[in-house]
Amino acid sequence: MPAANQSVRAVFGALLALALAAHPALAAPSGPPVRIGSTLALTGPLAATGLVHKIVGEIYVEQLNRKNGLLGRPVEWVLKDDQSRPDLARTLYEQLITVDKVDLIMGPYATANILSAMGVAQRYNKVLIHHTFGTPSLAKYEMQFPAGGLAGDPDNTIPRLVFDALAASAMPPKSVAVVTSKFPSVHFISLGAREAAKKRGLREVAFLEWDFGNRDFGPIAARLKDAKPDFVWVGGLGLEGNLLIDAMRKIDYMPPLHFHLFPAPGPLLKAPGGENALAATTFEEHPPFTDNPIAVEFIRLYHERGAKAGLPDTSVENQSAISFSSWQTLEAAVTGAKSIDDKAIAQWLRKNPVDAIVGRLRWDGPFNYIYGTDLYKVKQNQQGKWVVIWPKEFAASGAHLVTP
Amino acid sequence: MRGRALAAFAAAGMALSAVPFFGLPAFYESFLYLVFHWIVLAASWNILSGYSGYFSFGHGAFFGAGMYTTATLATKSGVPFLWTLPAAGIAAAAFGIALGAVVFRLPRLRGELFALLTLAVTFVLATIVLNTPVDGGPGLYLSAVPLPAIGPSPSSTFYLLGLALALATLWIAREIQRSRLGTGLFAIHDDEDVAEVLGVPTYRYKLAAFGLSCGLAGIAGGIQAMFISYVTVGETFSIAVPLNVVLMSVLGGSRHWFGPAVGAAVVTALLYAFTAGDYAVAGRAAVGLILILVILFLPEGIFGELIGALKRRRVSVTPAIGTADLPAPSAARPGKSEGQGQPLLEARGLSKAFRGVQALAEVDLEVRRGEILGLVGPNGSGKSTLINLVSGHFRPDSGRILFEGRDLAAMEAHRIARTGLARTYQIPRPFAHLSVLENVALPAMFGRDALPRAEAGHEARRWLAFTGLGAKATSLPGELNLHQRKFLELARALASRPSLLLLDEVFSGLTHAEIDDAIRLIRAIRAQGATIVFVEHVIRAVMELTDRIVVLSYGRVIAEGDPRAVMREPDVAAAYLGKPHA
Repeated sequence: MPAANQSVRAVFGALLALALAAHPALAAPSGPPVRIGSTLALTGPLAATGLVHKIVGEIYVEQLNRKNGLLGRPVEWVLKDDQSRPDLARTLYEQLITVDKVDLIMGPYATANILSAMGVAQRYNKVLIHHTFGTPSLAKYEMQFPAGGLAGDPDNTIPRLVFDALAASAMPPKSVAVVTSKFPSVHFISLGAREAAKKRGLREVAFLEWDFGNRDFGPIAARLKDAKPDFVWVGGLGLEGNLLIDAMRKIDYMPPLHFHLFPAPGPLLKAPGGENALAATTFEEHPPFTDNPIAVEFIRLYHERGAKAGLPDTSVENQSAISFSSWQTLEAAVTGAKSIDDKAIAQWLRKNPVDAIVGRLRWDGPFNYIYGTDLYKVKQNQQGKWVVIWPKEFAASGAHLVTP
Repeated sequence: MRGRALAAFAAAGMALSAVPFFGLPAFYESFLYLVFHWIVLAASWNILSGYSGYFSFGHGAFFGAGMYTTATLATKSGVPFLWTLPAAGIAAAAFGIALGAVVFRLPRLRGELFALLTLAVTFVLATIVLNTPVDGGPGLYLSAVPLPAIGPSPSSTFYLLGLALALATLWIAREIQRSRLGTGLFAIHDDEDVAEVLGVPTYRYKLAAFGLSCGLAGIAGGIQAMFISYVTVGETFSIAVPLNVVLMSVLGGSRHWFGPAVGAAVVTALLYAFTAGDYAVAGRAAVGLILILVILFLPEGIFGELIGALKRRRVSVTPAIGTADLPAPSAARPGKSEGQGQPLLEARGLSKAFRGVQALAEVDLEVRRGEILGLVGPNGSGKSTLINLVSGHFRPDSGRILFEGRDLAAMEAHRIARTGLARTYQIPRPFAHLSVLENVALPAMFGRDALPRAEAGHEARRWLAFTGLGAKATSLPGELNLHQRKFLELARALASRPSLLLLDEVFSGLTHAEIDDAIRLIRAIRAQGATIVFVEHVIRAVMELTDRIVVLSYGRVIAEGDPRAVMREPDVAAAYLGKPHA
């Protein structure tokens, strides 16, 4: 019996080896690496979010190399620190292309740096897939591909989404206050919110702006308290929403409903007064998003790596998900085009959608943007957890907009 | 010397402008462009802040003004990019001059207040730009603005523009340092009030330096707007620009025109030396550590220390200049026999009060050509105040000061210095960072004869030899003892070839032997026919040197005339010793 067992094992082993060799997806990549260059804000004011994109990129490249790499070749990610500076991002992309001679490039983090990289990509005819570009109207390069799920007209789509969610609630608001940072990528969306509110017959009781970098939200909180809006649209970035909530709590005021455009999700989740806050997202850790096994595996790895890197919040949400989706886009495009030639990749992307963890991405509109629709959803902080509440088909099980 | 420097600049310019034709990867051109960009910003900042010590944290505002001028003209008015650059420079310079015209009038806005004010201006300008149609929030995007093909590629075009501006900026900074303006700015750095009294038009010089500094930053901003192609308020008016230029200048050495260029090159190179994504934070920490170590161990900056070491080496091999090496000086500008005994200076009804304390009250006084007038009185009697009023240090509340027929009362101090009047300070106030020679050459450059720089140097050497300080010409004032510092004051006053010399307690703090030296020296000055007003407490010196004395008490003249007779007057004795009680 032992001899027979050994024979069976040997045959089984040989068959397995043959199967592995014949299946490209499971074969180890070989040959010269495909070098992908990018910069991220690993130091400087944007570093906290830059780190999220670094962790995601590392996870993705590792997974790629565990499979078949790209076109059977291993993948090497050449990452540089742009120190949150557009002038440095521009020059480093030039270095990646002209000195390091990378095969492909990926976008950096945040609008200004992406614009800088876009100019370089345009000069050297490189495809630029990016995830966090907030001002689509400025993207005038034929081979740039946004993978963050934003529409070409987010000033239309996001306000519509939010006001649809509010209109479907048990107590739709009748008055609105729009308060916003003048930071370019949020300001114009907030102006879109004013228009949307007006069209829907909501009474605007306050419209207030602050300069980016403002830390004193006391006066804005006081004006909001006086205006008594049913709903506050907060066109804030990062911790600005938290600062506004703190200022409102200090004067014993909290509006019935408040929406935050691009908040720092972890701190807002934990902030006293952040209960029932609304925000925009493309992904949260619950079905139907987690029905995708790729997303489930990514969530597991991200929790692990995030904890190791000391991230304050290791949940996969908007930033990490769109970052992952941009890598999915690159992989799909190279595989689909069967080439690392930039023009072939661009051509493939214009003709084919990519099913990423944030949803189906496509680029068949002007300058590769789609107008009138996006992949954004509305989420709410319910009992210390972010849950999507709108559109209904993406809502967490049993979740709906909670109104006071 | 200037011709050689010009040739060196031209050679460097030609050699560097060939780089784009070597076929190097574009990255190197962009990297070098950024080096040039920071050289312009750091060297232009240094023209005001390094030379004159007016630490500006507003360089970002002027740089930003240039960026937005170019961005606005190119995107909204369709002005060709190159034509926007002079406009960027002019707009930034005009902004700086308008600000300086107000700020430099207020003596209290020096030091940290000036730094804070300029920083505040950055935020004010940012708020204006953000909340007006200049930007309004979304930023300005220049991708559609055509870039002229100056070089074979866009990167080389930026490289060549950066190179041209960097060379121009360094040349300007060099010329300023070696000019009358530069000398004046360095004097302002050490003691602005003394500089003004010695003839430096401090207000005009600061304004000129500020205008130039801002204008160059504005042009750099214009080019940078096109380089990054997306101009936003948040990125443009950030604190990073002033912090970087301060760091670069301090690191390279802010007392030399080339120092900021060294600092800019080092900091930019370090910026790129640690961009590898795996060790980004460690890389930034390493950069910070390197900079801290350099600043700690090279306080004069890299280039400053290098120049200092070279100077020390040169001094050690060059024999010191002794008094015997030089001819005796000609007279300061004595009245000689012409008009001897006639009034040279007249004070009429001169009054001055400080916060209600009457320092001088209706003082009438006359100084005759060729005499030594002793001005005596107990502490607080108004002697130094009188000197300060005559030299323009303070303005009188009322009264007239006629000097060779001109009224000095409303005249600015630097103009007074040019009329031929010089003074010393009771507590020596030399320019601490200028050598002994430079200290003495300065009044020769800014006095009545306004000698050219080289001639002023010769003049200074003569007076140093005369006062026995010839061997100390290359020393810094801090290396002198009190006796020598007093004589430095004297040499500095004499170098302006004054008609009237105001000596404020030259003998205080000196030993008996040193006083004898000083008396001999003043006699030698007197022998050449100089007119001297002599404030002194050392009665022996007063008696030995003066022709007449005027006694002040509580801001009023209580006696005047022959020294011996006056000192015997009861009122004078009472002023010094108090009234006897019966």
